[in-house]
Amino acid sequence: MGSGDEKHICRCEEVSEDEIRAAIRSGARTVQEVKRWTRAGMGICQGRTCRRLVERMLCEELGLKPGEVEVSSFRQPVRPVSLKSFED
Amino acid sequence: MNSSTDVLILGAGVNGLSIAYELCKRGKKVVVAEKAEIGAGASGSCDDMILLQSKKPGILLEMALGSLELFRSLREELPCDIELDTKGGMILIEDEEQLSLMEGFVAGQKSCGLEVEIVGRSRVKALQPLVSESVIASTYSARDSQVNPLLLMKAFYLGASERGLRLLRGAAPVSIEPRAGGWATRLASGEEIESGAVVNAAGAWASQVCSLLGFELPIIPRKGQVMVTEQIPPIGATNVWSAKYIASKLKPVAARREAAGAAQTPEERYGLGFAFTSTHSGNYLVGSTRENAGFDKGTDPEALALIGRQVRRFFPVLANVNFIRSFAGFRPSTTDGMPVIGEVAGRPGFFVAAGHEGDGIALAPITGKLVADLVEGRTPGYDLEKLSPGRFLGAKGA
Repeated sequence: MGSGDEKHICRCEEVSEDEIRAAIRSGARTVQEVKRWTRAGMGICQGRTCRRLVERMLCEELGLKPGEVEVSSFRQPVRPVSLKSFED
Repeated sequence: MNSSTDVLILGAGVNGLSIAYELCKRGKKVVVAEKAEIGAGASGSCDDMILLQSKKPGILLEMALGSLELFRSLREELPCDIELDTKGGMILIEDEEQLSLMEGFVAGQKSCGLEVEIVGRSRVKALQPLVSESVIASTYSARDSQVNPLLLMKAFYLGASERGLRLLRGAAPVSIEPRAGGWATRLASGEEIESGAVVNAAGAWASQVCSLLGFELPIIPRKGQVMVTEQIPPIGATNVWSAKYIASKLKPVAARREAAGAAQTPEERYGLGFAFTSTHSGNYLVGSTRENAGFDKGTDPEALALIGRQVRRFFPVLANVNFIRSFAGFRPSTTDGMPVIGEVAGRPGFFVAAGHEGDGIALAPITGKLVADLVEGRTPGYDLEKLSPGRFLGAKGA
C-alpha cells in the first residue's frame, strides 16, 4: 500500500489494486459487492475496463474459475447522455 | 450439512444486517442467509436519504428521529465510514393545493417534535439559487440527513463479522419447520440451520418467505427507477424532494383519478415524484418512479425520459450535465404504508422485519435495536402494535 507502483484498476474513480484486494479479503465476494464497497466501476465509464479486472482478481483471491464469479449488471445508458436531450 | 445458531436472519439487506450487527453485539450467535448477495434487493438500489420530513406523524416519525440518534453513535462505533451527513432537506411546492397539503403535514410533524417549517420564495432562492421560478414555496428541515447505504451495509457486515457473524450467499430458504425450541430452515445452498429464532428480513420477498410457513403478508415490490448523474459541484444547500412525491406517497394521485374514471398520464402510471440528492462523491441521484411492475428489475427509456425532463424543469441548469447510469430497486411496500415488525402470533420465535418501502435505510438502526429486543424477549421502547404482523393476519394469527 502506498508504494510508488500502486496500480489504478478503476481509473475513473481512482481505485487501486490494493484497495480491491483488501475489499475481497475483508469479505466482498462478487463484482457488485466490490463495486459497492470501493466504487470500482461506478465512474463515468461504468466499469468498461475495470469490471473484467475485478472479476479476475476475485478469481485469483478466491480460487474461482472465470464463469464462477457473479458479474455486475449492465444498465442504461450505454454512454453518458446529456440531460439536454430530454426536451419537454 | 447441519448447523445450529441462536438466530437465523433471512436477507442481507440493510435491515437484516443491522439486526445481525445488534444481535452480535449482544453476544448472540447469528447466521444471515441471503438468496443472492449483500444488498441485492432494495438496499443496494436506492438513494441515500434519511428524510424525516417524509414520515407520517406518529410511530414512523418517532422511529426515524430515534434512528437518526442511533446513526450518530453508529458513525463512531462502526468499523468503516458511512458518509453520514446532515445537510437539511426541502420539499418543493409548486401550487396552492400542494401548499395546503404540506401545511397540514408540517403541522402534524411539528407536534411530533420535528423542527420543520414552510419557507417562502426568498428563502427558497437563498437555499436553492438555481431552482426554477415555478417553485412558490418549500418546506425546510435542518435535520434531514443522508447516509451511504452501500457503506452502511458494509459497516454492519464488517462489525457483525468481527463478532462472529456467518453470512451465506445463494441461500434462499427452501423450507422452514418448527423444531423443539425453535426452527429448522433448509437453504438452497444445501445447508440446514437450526435456530432458536428466525427473522424474516427479506424485503420485497418477505411474503414469499412467509408462504413457506403457510401464510402471506401484503408486502409487494414497488419498483423505483433512479438516474445517476456525473460528478458535479453541489448546486444547492440541501437535498430536495417535491410535494408531488410526498402526495404520491400519502395518497397516490393515480389511484384517485382511476377511481374518478380518468385516463392516467404517463407520470401517474409511473408514480413519478421528484427526489434529488447529492452523494459524497458528487454524483446526484435523481428519482424516481413508484411502479407496480412485479419483480422486473429493468430500467426503461420512457421512465428515464420522464425523470430527466422533471429534473430539468426543477433545475434548468442541469441541461449540460450528463447522466451516466440508471438503476431500479424494489421498495417493499405494504397496504397501509407501515413496515411489519414483530413476532408472528402462533409461531413463537418467527419474527418479521420487512415492508419499510422507501424508509428502509432511515429506519435500519432502530429496526436493528427493536428486533434484537423482541428476539431477546425484552420490551422495546416503542409501542409496536401498529407495526405488528397480526394487523394483517386477523385474530387467529398465522
